[in-house]
Amino acid sequence: MAIEDIFEAVLTFNKVAVAEGVKAELDAGTEIDSILNEALIGALDVVGKKFSEGEMFVPEMLQAAKAMKAGLEVLKPYLRSESVASKGTVIIGTVKGDQHDIGKNLVAMMIEGAGFEVVDMGVNVDADRFVKAVSEHNAGVLCLSALLTTTMPAMENAVAVIKKSGLAVKTIIGGAPVTVTFADQVGADGYSDDAPSAVELVRKLMAT
Amino acid sequence: MNATERMNAAINLKPVDRVPNAPFYEAPICTYFGSTFRAALLEDQAMADAHLAALDEFRFDWVMVGMGLIGGIIPEALDCEVSFPEDVFPVIEKTTVESMKDVERIAKADVHTDRMERFLKGVSILKKELKGEVPIACEYISPFTIATRLRGTNEIMADMYDNPELVHTLQDALVPLDIEIGRALIEAGVDYIFYGADMECPLLISPNHYRELVHEPTAKVVNELSRLGARVLPHMCGDIIKAGIVDMLLETDISGIMPGNLTQASVLDLRELKEKVGDRTCIFDNINPNGPLLIGKPEEVATETRAHLEKAGGMSGYIFSTSGTTSPNTPRENFEAMNREVLNFQWA
Ligand code: B12
Repeated sequence: MAIEDIFEAVLTFNKVAVAEGVKAELDAGTEIDSILNEALIGALDVVGKKFSEGEMFVPEMLQAAKAMKAGLEVLKPYLRSESVASKGTVIIGTVKGDQHDIGKNLVAMMIEGAGFEVVDMGVNVDADRFVKAVSEHNAGVLCLSALLTTTMPAMENAVAVIKKSGLAVKTIIGGAPVTVTFADQVGADGYSDDAPSAVELVRKLMAT
Repeated sequence: MNATERMNAAINLKPVDRVPNAPFYEAPICTYFGSTFRAALLEDQAMADAHLAALDEFRFDWVMVGMGLIGGIIPEALDCEVSFPEDVFPVIEKTTVESMKDVERIAKADVHTDRMERFLKGVSILKKELKGEVPIACEYISPFTIATRLRGTNEIMADMYDNPELVHTLQDALVPLDIEIGRALIEAGVDYIFYGADMECPLLISPNHYRELVHEPTAKVVNELSRLGARVLPHMCGDIIKAGIVDMLLETDISGIMPGNLTQASVLDLRELKEKVGDRTCIFDNINPNGPLLIGKPEEVATETRAHLEKAGGMSGYIFSTSGTTSPNTPRENFEAMNREVLNFQWA
């Protein structure tokens, strides 16, 4: 099985084929880096784009992510011993008073798929819990999601509390009603309007 | 024409004396007129008082209730743990369906909880006060959307591949409960059932999954509520024309369609929808509740509102509305600007 077959198996949600494919590539001595980036992360990138373009939907995203994870499981023991270990920790959650998590979950999935360690705090999370998690996990980026205009003030508050805490974490925000203007206004370090661009943003911020 | 005559004329695609004015106004008026936001959403007299005060000032062509019902009362009646904060929407703290076994328990639920009865009483008070001159609309949710609340969205979305049987069975159990809630609403005085189909919209699931899993329970509930005397008005985000959902809805006994959207980029074109539905059913407009209305100036709101009204250009069966819930934080002067435009508008 070649890299393209693993890629294809992620896109067709075939967990077994993904796991077997990764194993076969490892046995054949293919570089771990290319299995991870070209086959697994590459496929999930395509899934994210297809979702943004309305060609794939939430259930399909979830299945593709599960298939990808099946491959990651096989890779994991090797990842630790190689230089391609986790690229840093990202905390993500939906702000206080808000229960929307579909978008947040997709963003989390894609960031995890891109090789970062992700701690998902779930929904209805208050500012203090975010602060605690950031410091506990020594996170580089905090991602906040809000889908209600009524909870955007809670988002603003969370950004302010994080700033005040003095933790060296970059905060990025998103969710349908959130805009770049709002992000600037509340002093967030970044904003993006979909999951693939959220990953780019995290990559950029982690690199600085 | 009074509001009831005007709305009924538009729904039947007959001439109206002016554009019917039927925005999703509940959240802002709970802020403007409620004793508290929570009370105006949930408690009989406080709810009726807030709506009557709003009607006096804004002269809407319908009374629109039910955000607390779909967000809190229904999930709680079906065993979820729900909290009801004072100044924001209800929050589901804990879902309730983990396996098929739980479905049997849900199927036996009694939806007539105290909170449900208080809500129904609020509807009855309004019905009495309005004397049939203004129709009452109530928000409502589809079996599929309730299923995601009881089981969790991620879980249902995963079940669609891993355990479709559970998705079917849970909805089958919910259909009679949903109908019972609808029946009680109609009996209390609700004229229009605002059928929220949030989770099955084409932003989230594929047209194939809609056809396979959602169409049948939708048809059962819609047809029964219509038989019981309500006008059923489905509301859904995304491109429901391209996904073929308009065609499926038209196979059921609906009385109108309200397309939703959150950003202007994803607006469904009203003219396109009119072409699709022709004289089969009325259309509710979809002005963006999170655009100028929320963050702009009154002049911008007036301009956007006028653009929508002009675009509708005298089409039959047109009802002015917002594309979904308006925010409780909508500035009052913006809401007033929108309202003024609609009430004063006449097509050339
Ligand atoms: C699905 C949905 C629900 C589901 C949520 C299920 C769940 N587990 O998430 C349910 C039915 C439970 C629900 C409940 C409610 N909802 Co709702 N819901 C929606 C709906 C239809 C779709 C949202 C969605 O999932 N979109 C798809 C995802 C993929 O998109 P997304 O979230 O925007 O995420 C993308 C980007 O924004 C970005 N992103 C997201 N988060 C982040 C974070 C970061 C850091 C970054 C960088 C990027 C990013 O990437 C994502 C992927 O591309 C919207 C309408 C709409 N058209 O958007 C209404 C909507 C958001 N809901 C609304 C309302 C009012 C409610 C309720 C109050 C209704 C009620 N009466 O109870 C409750 C609120 C409950 C609560 N306390 O939170 C309103 C909000 C109005 C307003 N002015 O605030 C909307 C706009 C509908 C409307 N107009 O009426 N809802």
